[in-house]
Amino acid sequence: MTDKRNGKYRTAVVLALFALGLFLFTLYTGLK
Amino acid sequence: MSDVAHAHDDHGHHAHPTGIMRWLTTTNHKDIGTLYLFFALIMLFAAGSMALLIRAELFQPGLQLMHPDFFNQLTTMHGLIMIFGVIMPAFSGFANWQVPLMLGAPDMAFPRMNNWAFWVLPVAGLMLMSSFLLPGGAVAGGWTMYPPLFIQGGISYDLTILAVHIMGLSSIMGSINIITTILNMRAPGLTLMKMPLFCWTWLITAYLLIATMPVLAGAVTMLLTDRNFGTHFFNAAGGGDPVMFQHIFWFFAHPEVYILILPAFGIVSQVIPTFARKPLFGYASMVYATASIAILSFIVWAHHMFTVGMPAAAQLFFMFSTMLIAVPTGVKVFNWVATMWKGSMTFETPMLFAISFVCLFTIGGFSGLVLAIAPVDIQLHDTYYVVAHFHYVLVSGALFAIFAGIYYWMPKWTGHMYDETLGKWHFWLSVIGMNIVFFPMHFLGLAGMPRRIPDYALQFTEFNQIATVGAFIFGFSQLVFLVVVLKAIKGGAKAPARVWEGAEGLEWTVPSPAPYHTFETAPVVK
Repeated sequence: MTDKRNGKYRTAVVLALFALGLFLFTLYTGLK
Repeated sequence: MSDVAHAHDDHGHHAHPTGIMRWLTTTNHKDIGTLYLFFALIMLFAAGSMALLIRAELFQPGLQLMHPDFFNQLTTMHGLIMIFGVIMPAFSGFANWQVPLMLGAPDMAFPRMNNWAFWVLPVAGLMLMSSFLLPGGAVAGGWTMYPPLFIQGGISYDLTILAVHIMGLSSIMGSINIITTILNMRAPGLTLMKMPLFCWTWLITAYLLIATMPVLAGAVTMLLTDRNFGTHFFNAAGGGDPVMFQHIFWFFAHPEVYILILPAFGIVSQVIPTFARKPLFGYASMVYATASIAILSFIVWAHHMFTVGMPAAAQLFFMFSTMLIAVPTGVKVFNWVATMWKGSMTFETPMLFAISFVCLFTIGGFSGLVLAIAPVDIQLHDTYYVVAHFHYVLVSGALFAIFAGIYYWMPKWTGHMYDETLGKWHFWLSVIGMNIVFFPMHFLGLAGMPRRIPDYALQFTEFNQIATVGAFIFGFSQLVFLVVVLKAIKGGAKAPARVWEGAEGLEWTVPSPAPYHTFETAPVVK
């Protein structure tokens, strides 16, 4: 389980990057 | 589930702040869960009072109590606050309290981010509420924030956009925390397909939030720049497209509907097996049905916009894809009924709310199917039929599931049994009151009464009067709920660790009230 808990930062960063990307993509669709 | 309960009282190795500082600085999932739940309770009474003012105005045709613009402010703020200030924070409260307890985790994965995710919420709530005091009053363009109305309003519109940004940020932080906790912090042996269904529904809800909240943030950012920085994203005069806002908004807002109901499915899926004294029927199919509903929710958004004009092929696509959602939803309803079938059922307050959820949410689901039919929707769009539909989904659905969950877990949280007699009074007054308010609205809508108006034609009077009487019964019965909660916090019969005879899961292995720190040593799940 120790290994799995160490992976929490990677999980969080991936999710945060996805959210940020989606926000920027939404603005991009508005610009078109 | 687990053969050993690893619960510990506070070891005293931290000096905990007391008073207000305890709540401001807390990183404990139970404290933060409590904060979310109390925030939701306060906002429930605020937005509920707005609903009663709306219903009081609609008791008679003509204008009695308020200016039409204030009426529009009330309907807009009632919707925004009930969604972003009541239902979503209440479910976040459940997630904070229950997910670590159900997974055998000592806390959420990111406790400090958890604190931040909560404490930005009251700021947003205050911004929304204080906008009533600004010149021009609060936002009045509907909770859907459609341009051009939303581009033309006063300063409160900017304040609302900022509040929506903050609430979205809070939801994203909360979702990252929940997903990470579920994926990375489960007790050894607790595989995903052994997780309690409440954790599954929240895992899927958190993914939905992360996939939709940034879209809402993008939409309101474009509104903000249209209002203040001379852009023309949604301004037709400048080459923009107001219908594009509707597409972007509903791409967020239809999955949002499932964000508001999937955790409710999770709560009901915990409560019904407990009081039927049987395992949940079709666990795996419940998981797959929840995931199917979530996936389908991304391809149905334009059913909210049949009247804006779209090709027949698009109408057919959105009509049939919407109807398809009834299949996994039906799987869930049949599974709940099958769980109760030949069970040794008892009818404590949580079970009463859960059963009424199954019956009344299904009514809301069926009226949703009616509205999914494009030619019918074109007749019923923006009528009281729609108001009846989504209140059956969100009041007898989401809110009743919240009540079921609070009665179910309150003894675990407070260490005291709630007053069962008062709980039953609360249930019966709520269920009767709720139906008196919202059932006549189907007839009003079918007869053509439009929503979001302070005045109406004479022939709608009787059903409106019935609805208003029901609203006051339903509204004031929530004071009974307040008394039940305050009584249980203050005292009452001592609750055992396993509060309910048929309850299963790790949360019932720790004492009641759940100690401040639990599962510091992970339990082993077989």
